Amino acid sequence: MRRVAVTGIGVVSPLGNDAAALFANASAGRSAVRRMDAPWCRRLTCPLGASADFRAGEHFEPAKLRMLDRVSQFALVAARQAIGDARIGSGDLDPQRTGVFIGTSMGGSVSTDEGYRTLYEEQSDRIKPFTILTGMMHAPAAWISIEYAVTGPNLTYSTACSSSTVAIGEAWLRLRSGDLDVAIAGGAEAPLSFGAMKAWEALHTLASEDPADASASCKPFAANRSGMVLGEGAAIVLLEDWERARARGATIYGELTGYGVSADIGHITRPSVDGQAAAMRAALHSAGCAPEAIGAINAHGTGTPINDAVETAAIKRVFGARAHRIPISATKAIHGHLLGASGALELVLCLLSMRHGVLLPTMHLQQPAADCDLDYVANRARHDVFVDSMMSSSFAFGGTHAVLVARAAPTAPAAAFAAAPGALPPPIEEQQFE
Amino acid sequence: MTTLERLMAILVTHYKLDPTRIARDTPLEHLGIDSLGMVELLFFIEDEFNLQLPSDAPLLPTVADAVRYIDALQAQQPAPSPAGTAAAPPPSRST
Repeated sequence: MRRVAVTGIGVVSPLGNDAAALFANASAGRSAVRRMDAPWCRRLTCPLGASADFRAGEHFEPAKLRMLDRVSQFALVAARQAIGDARIGSGDLDPQRTGVFIGTSMGGSVSTDEGYRTLYEEQSDRIKPFTILTGMMHAPAAWISIEYAVTGPNLTYSTACSSSTVAIGEAWLRLRSGDLDVAIAGGAEAPLSFGAMKAWEALHTLASEDPADASASCKPFAANRSGMVLGEGAAIVLLEDWERARARGATIYGELTGYGVSADIGHITRPSVDGQAAAMRAALHSAGCAPEAIGAINAHGTGTPINDAVETAAIKRVFGARAHRIPISATKAIHGHLLGASGALELVLCLLSMRHGVLLPTMHLQQPAADCDLDYVANRARHDVFVDSMMSSSFAFGGTHAVLVARAAPTAPAAAFAAAPGALPPPIEEQQFE
Repeated sequence: MTTLERLMAILVTHYKLDPTRIARDTPLEHLGIDSLGMVELLFFIEDEFNLQLPSDAPLLPTVADAVRYIDALQAQQPAPSPAGTAAAPPPSRST
């Protein structure tokens, strides 16, 4: 089996539109959750969201833009970043040995929602001619393949909140087996439309607004947690055959070492300890490592009463007594739940955490719940903590639970930040690691 | 405004085209309007000329062909009367 390196990162997120901004804000615990002010938000019970500061016109010509839902815009911009970050030129990709693997839960829901609004609210018999093209689930992956003339597998995974974790994991399998040399993998989501938010609201899974601070409304693992907050964005990683990456002198963010996926068959929305634990164990098994090898976890940690309690129990089930000594970060508290893009974003945060030796805080955790009694890195980042391997978990409605294991690059810059304990790392592009 | 002028306005406004590049015999493909772009152009034409186009795609290789198509439709679909009845659209061709 071949080893798989992560050699490029691209991000559009509520915490910033590049890896450096994302990690700086996540380290500082700055929340992007806001009370949204679009006119349709008045019809929401609790109009909270974590939106990306994204100006599509800066990235696309008008004629192209009309063919791109917001989710595809995010995906394309993140893919461009990842490929640029990996310093791969147009001639460096073997088209047939490169694949695109994208996860999204709701696809082009903004376009779909707009189409229905036109038909039903305006009573128009005409909708925009590209509504099918912008709304289709695999448009983000298709546009990436077209833009980079990649002719290998072009695949979209839609498994709700684990979509991009599955996409990256499935890409990893193909690189590991030698079927591909390079994969552009990750997820994108743009769920902050009236129809999508109303649908989520109807499920009674969204957080109520914190009366003192709207940005603190999502409180994973806290006694007063009330639900999740939707976020938007995309995270794309460039996965590359390890030897190929080394041969070309690529910067390696880390190694993807394991991927596990399970079906939680008990209920369509309520996760089980068995189901979540099965995915974690499968990931450990594929990584060929014992639970003791995992130094920290980025939890699914949605802030819903059920998930956080079940996830805590599942971590205990897998890690035993050592579960209490594993730092667990739930970063959805500040970037929101990006649904199908969450897993990719959180894998990126794991890679950056290991690289910079910073364990990210779980914000808004004043009083842990009685059934959430692990170390959640409450409210403050821990600096100068370099772990060898991290687990990133994504648990989904529908029961497709997926977990990735990533390992720090051998040359992780343990000394790079030791000179300035507590300081935020400099932007990625200013760093010299290899 | 003539049909050509109104069509030119669509091309300039929505496709950001240089009007000096557009002549009657200019192939629409040379303006970057491929078969998919044509679908969108028809949408804009419907809006601009208040026409209802048939669901299958017409064959319009050049700007002049588009003008003739619009004029033919306008002749068959006069401005909607209070009764709201519309004449049948002209023959069109599927791709």
